[in-house]
Amino acid sequence: MTDQFELPSELTIYSAARTHNELLAWASRQVGSGSDIKLSARAVESVDGAGLQLLVSLGQTNESWRLVDASEVFADACRVMGFADWLDAPRFQPDSTREIP
Amino acid sequence: MSRTEDTDEDFIASAMPIFISEAQEQTDAVENYLLELEEQPDNRELLDSLFRCAHTVKGSAGIFGLEPVVEFTHHVETLLDQMRDGRMAFSGEIGTLLLKCNDQIRWLVETSALAREDSAEQQETRAELVRQLRRLTSGQGGGETPREPAATEKPAPLGLKWKISARFGRETFRNGMDPLAVVRYLGEIGQIVSMRCLSEAVPALQDLDPEACYLGFEMEIEAQKERAEIEGAFSFVAEDCEYQILAQESASQKMARAIEELPDTPRIGEILAAVGAVTPERLAEALAAQQKGAADQSAGKPKIGSLLETEIGLAPEVVQAALKKQQKMRDSAAPEEGRYIRVQADRLDAVINLLGELVIASAGAMLKARSSRQTDLIETNLEMNRLIEDIRNSTLSLRMVPVGETFSRFRRVVRDTSASLGKDVNFEIVGGDAELDKSMVEKIADPLMHLVRNSMDHGLETPQERAAAGKPMTGKLVLSAQHETGAILIRIEDDGRGINRERVLERAWTRGLVPQGVVPSDDDINMLIFEAGFSTAEQVTNLSGRGVGMDVVRSNIEALRGTIRLNSRPGKGLRVDIRLPLTLAIIDGFLVGVGKSKFVLPLESVVEVVEAGCGAAKTDSAGRHCIELRGAVLPVVRLRTLYTVESTLPERVSVVVVNSPRGKYGIEVEVLLGQHQTVIKPLGRLFKTLRGISGSSILGSGEVALILDVSSLAELAAMDGAQGARGGSQLSMQAAGIDEPPVSGGA
Repeated sequence: MTDQFELPSELTIYSAARTHNELLAWASRQVGSGSDIKLSARAVESVDGAGLQLLVSLGQTNESWRLVDASEVFADACRVMGFADWLDAPRFQPDSTREIP
Repeated sequence: MSRTEDTDEDFIASAMPIFISEAQEQTDAVENYLLELEEQPDNRELLDSLFRCAHTVKGSAGIFGLEPVVEFTHHVETLLDQMRDGRMAFSGEIGTLLLKCNDQIRWLVETSALAREDSAEQQETRAELVRQLRRLTSGQGGGETPREPAATEKPAPLGLKWKISARFGRETFRNGMDPLAVVRYLGEIGQIVSMRCLSEAVPALQDLDPEACYLGFEMEIEAQKERAEIEGAFSFVAEDCEYQILAQESASQKMARAIEELPDTPRIGEILAAVGAVTPERLAEALAAQQKGAADQSAGKPKIGSLLETEIGLAPEVVQAALKKQQKMRDSAAPEEGRYIRVQADRLDAVINLLGELVIASAGAMLKARSSRQTDLIETNLEMNRLIEDIRNSTLSLRMVPVGETFSRFRRVVRDTSASLGKDVNFEIVGGDAELDKSMVEKIADPLMHLVRNSMDHGLETPQERAAAGKPMTGKLVLSAQHETGAILIRIEDDGRGINRERVLERAWTRGLVPQGVVPSDDDINMLIFEAGFSTAEQVTNLSGRGVGMDVVRSNIEALRGTIRLNSRPGKGLRVDIRLPLTLAIIDGFLVGVGKSKFVLPLESVVEVVEAGCGAAKTDSAGRHCIELRGAVLPVVRLRTLYTVESTLPERVSVVVVNSPRGKYGIEVEVLLGQHQTVIKPLGRLFKTLRGISGSSILGSGEVALILDVSSLAELAAMDGAQGARGGSQLSMQAAGIDEPPVSGGA
């Protein structure tokens, strides 16, 4: 059982249906086993509103989810859309070594 | 397929008249708002109303597929929108342009019904107006050259703040759009101050349709941009998005809004505190408890009333009483206005006609009841009469409309006329809320228009002439309305040069209206301007002075049973007084008899009735004499002599004292028959010339009574030589139709 959910590199409308399925399955398993819901956005290279909406929806289901890592692209999208507080979640360390694309 | 098209066409054909009448109302309203805006250019509410009207016209025209209206109105709307954003101030120039545009919209709407072809001339006018509108909206001098971005634009005030809220439709993502991109774009054109994503609508993961969009946002942005540019951010998603862009309000605007948003009804606690049922301290405690309760349970705030009951031990009936009172205040505060139904005027007329017949029939029933001498029957009839009177009054009041609606039309006339004549005019409307029968209002509009134009054209001087005469440069024109006994007085007063009697008299001599060398009284000379074929204007303008009109004005007003009087003070001004009866249908009358003839006096004009001996007092040939009334001399006109009614000399007569615009006078009659609900029937054409009589009425017995018009009767009696009594027609009462009713009505 994976510790955290890796968001795909393409977190957009094109992959939203697939990501949604995977995330839903994973999250319900996590809840079932009593584990934390931790997500990593390290690999995200492109993101759009539909992608962010998935995480909003996750928040509606389970308020205790946390982001543990994020690419600059993803972090930027969060800030733009007013979700900067996701980035401030505890234990989240911004990956400062990553190049800004 | 063709079937649905047919029904569509049917629908449009049947709804079109409604659209046109509503659009006409809207354009009328636009005109009024524009004229009001000229007086108070900073009135934001007026501007908003103006925009709404234009928007409504555009919207409904769109439904009917009237492309020219939609297209043209759109340009007007753009200009109005810019003014609403405060990027352009209202000016006289804009006002004039918008008035012209409004005329054009009105024309387009009206002709859309006739399916008439748009003439090239009209198209050109419209194109020119659009050019002017574009020039204003793009803030540039030349209309044709494409505008350069930002270079010549009026700079917006520094740090303009906008509040944007948007909600995206479900299909946004599937249509390839993205709220994120919109926000990013907005971030590029301005500085985002705050941003909040509206994610409440997003369902939980298991219920989520990952390809549907549930997002929205609210943001504040500082951007030195025009509204249009901000709207541009939404241009691709416009169909899938509801958005609102507001210019951020200043502190004072904020406060005004807060006041506006104050609840109309006091809070329950305030009511209880006001009567001392609870002390302010206890109330504050309870309120705090309420807040806490709200935080604790998500089920919603506990009611303050029940808290006061349980926590403070207030008697339930006290709380109930307070709640009831609050509900009552809320109910009475609920807006009553705006609840109208549209009724076709002829339906209303049909009701009023029927009512007239009912009044006549009930008078007949009353007569029969009286002659039967059955008290019960008389009582029942009296009760019925009372009810009929109530119905009559409320039905007639349905037709009453404020004259102000007609008056405000003149603002435009005065504005345009003064501009074309180069005269400065301050136009005032007084008493626009006085009510008058709708049919009267419609018929009086044209004569009034003519008189107003006449005052502007011939009465008021140019600024130079006024300065030379020691008057203020700006002329004054006052249009007023007020109620008088049983009538409405409409007055048009200017401070112009008045009537030049000498010139009028000269003209009358040369035109043969008055025999050479004869000099009538001042009043009579003034009235000559109402004679057919009279005009003193040195130059014929396109406004008035063609010599037609003034006589038509008088005959129109007289046809409404009205009178017109002039009060001219040479060099100082002219006052035109028009008196009109309030209604054309039914009045309260006072029935009197002379010999076998019956007359009705309007009850409102009757002051008192006095006995006057045997009626043998000497009169002149017109039936005039005087009596003494409480130490004052009262002129009296004897109807029997005035209208040569055949009757034997009665033993005693009565004098009905009436009020007229010329003062009090008496009318000598032989029998008093009391109050009578009088259904006014017009006089037959033969008897139109009969002076002093305004109509006829059918009594319960089937007899015809003539309705006396006290003001024209007074004038008639005051005439020299009193030849006018029988007008030119020399009618005796017998011929005036007592034996044969002039109008049969429905009886």
